[in-house]
Amino acid sequence: MNRYAALLSLLLALLTISGCGFKDIDKRFFVVATGIDWSGNKSKPYRITLQLAIPSPKIEPGASKIQYETIDAPSIAEGVRMLKAYVDKELDFGHCKMMIIGEELAKRDINHSIEWMLRRRDIQSVATLAIGRPTAETVLHVRPASERYPGNALLLSFGADGTESSYNYAETLSGFARRVSEKGMDPALAIITNDGKESYIINQVALFDKEKIKTILTPAETQLFNQMSDHFTKASMHGMFKGTPLVIAINQLNSSFRLQGHTAPVRITMKVKMDVVFEEAPNGLFDKDWLSVEDALATEYEKAAVALLKKIQRHGVDPFGFGLRYRAVYPGKNAWNNWTQLYPDAEFNVEAMVKIEGTGLIR
Amino acid sequence: MNRYFFYNFMLVSLMNLMLFVPHILVKNRYSGGVSALIAAPVIGAILMYMFTSAMARYPGLGYPEILKKYCPRWLVSLTSVYFAIMWWFSSTIVVVAYAVLINRFFNPDANTTVILIMMVLAAAYAASRSTLTIAFIIEIGIIVNAPIILFIMFKMVRSPQLNFDSIRVIANYVTVMPTVITLAAATLIFTGYIHLALFNRLFPPNFRFKHLYVYPILGFIILLITFFVPIGFHGTEGVDRYIYLWAVTSDSLIMQYGFIERVIFLFLIVFLNLTLVYTMSGWHLGMEYIKSCFKACKPEIDSPKAPKANYIILAVFATATVLYLIFTNEKINYLITSYWLVLRMFTEIVGVLWVFILSRRRLKPE
Repeated sequence: MNRYAALLSLLLALLTISGCGFKDIDKRFFVVATGIDWSGNKSKPYRITLQLAIPSPKIEPGASKIQYETIDAPSIAEGVRMLKAYVDKELDFGHCKMMIIGEELAKRDINHSIEWMLRRRDIQSVATLAIGRPTAETVLHVRPASERYPGNALLLSFGADGTESSYNYAETLSGFARRVSEKGMDPALAIITNDGKESYIINQVALFDKEKIKTILTPAETQLFNQMSDHFTKASMHGMFKGTPLVIAINQLNSSFRLQGHTAPVRITMKVKMDVVFEEAPNGLFDKDWLSVEDALATEYEKAAVALLKKIQRHGVDPFGFGLRYRAVYPGKNAWNNWTQLYPDAEFNVEAMVKIEGTGLIR
Repeated sequence: MNRYFFYNFMLVSLMNLMLFVPHILVKNRYSGGVSALIAAPVIGAILMYMFTSAMARYPGLGYPEILKKYCPRWLVSLTSVYFAIMWWFSSTIVVVAYAVLINRFFNPDANTTVILIMMVLAAAYAASRSTLTIAFIIEIGIIVNAPIILFIMFKMVRSPQLNFDSIRVIANYVTVMPTVITLAAATLIFTGYIHLALFNRLFPPNFRFKHLYVYPILGFIILLITFFVPIGFHGTEGVDRYIYLWAVTSDSLIMQYGFIERVIFLFLIVFLNLTLVYTMSGWHLGMEYIKSCFKACKPEIDSPKAPKANYIILAVFATATVLYLIFTNEKINYLITSYWLVLRMFTEIVGVLWVFILSRRRLKPE
């Protein structure tokens, strides 16, 4: 008897949830990428571009179908709400794994956009953030011919599944939010551009202070930056040895840094260890003394690295987290104030350790 | 039988995530949160040793029965009702927080009250079973879910996103003395032993607690992960920003080749199970306390048929929980929870000391 009563009450409870807000998958529009731009209009400063996936039964290269919606709005949340009037299905950000911020907006202030993303519950914290150049809208309108699913090409560029480019700096929303708020560690984002045709170019990194772009690194600096910040993927490096050009492939790379002294000037020593193999080298290198080649490569690397560190320091940003390390090693109430005074005069020292593993298949 | 003690301990220490413990500790990370992490295992261990040694002297008896031996009836009844309310409330906080969490992360269109009613019905029905059944359900719940939680925790600790510099910055604040609220939050991890107050009825006369040293160590590790992993993920400043700290932290992880890419869903499902099990056990304990106030009710550990009183008491509990949800919001729930945590710590200390003194007094030659 009791059992029936319990069952009955459960069934009654089920009645109350009939037809609650659950929408079928074919009544939803999945946003696969979101772009936020500066529109130039003061009263409606944000231009929001949504890339909406159109499900298609065909999965083959070039078969991805996409619908775009763009709107100018006084705020991001309002813009998204207004866009709902433009489409016939419910917008769902649950699969939005690319958030692109226009370069113009990034040069003004990104905090508002980041806050919106963090506050929305359906945007994943693992979504990838990047800068779109010249605007997020143009980047989103690129349609790579090889794309199999809507929005997949960009995702593959950033994830570890597809291409592993040494110029590519992937940052997630939660990682970026951490850097925006952390004292002593500044954010950085990759810049996506379009080559005018059907593909993306991602080979630059923009360094931020807590709210806007401070400087943009060149592709060569970007590669170096990725290596030094331990965002490493297989990379190659150019070098000269006694007047002949060398190209080496870096198979493995570890970088770490430490601070020495807590009175001015602080010395920041960065250690970069790498195992390399030659890709282009003069003939007969196999029989020569590798130690001198290693030294020459290391010295060249050190020079470039110190130059990059100096450039970053000059712009007053700290993407490597030196300040955070300082706070960790020298605790105290005014550690952070000390550091802000120490950093502009800090000295850099890079110790590169190149280890040649072989010369490839030929001598 | 030792493992049933262990399951209860694990259940409460894992549930801390739903009881705003990381939230409170992280909020006070510069003002005593870290030293509380170190003080809590000591306090927890002392209380646990006192309680287990006291309860071991009364095999097969629950806390109310022991009190009844020495104290006047009205005092025992009063204490029992008070404990029942404490236990009911601990489960209520958890289940209400979880209902809100479902609303936030699973389906924002669903009505929180309806979700809560469903969960409450399931938990209340389970709680109406006999004490022995409850012990078994807890066992199953822990065995099924703990490996997944361990997996998530392992993934988090091994993640390259975990920044040890941030952790070190916060760990340096270890010299700041703990405050009452941080201590209350941190000791909650070790409080699972108090379930023994009623589960002691299950234990046979020749029962001995073994490997008690494991509990403080295990609790300390869980506490460290609870506190430091979110800091490592969100940084020393950003960590303060999130309301559902651990849900967001698990969302920062990705399982590239898992069935579900987002770890948060795995996390939420596991904690749904644990929440239901915890609610069930909390309400069962509360129910048994209330029943012990009545003369007619004999404590039974394995009755084939649930007495009617069970349903009545649980119906009151469930209704009160739904009302609690309706009359509070996230902010008030958080505030009340912090007060409850402090009250719980003092209640626990008094309760343990009480039974400990009683058990020692009996030993003295008369």
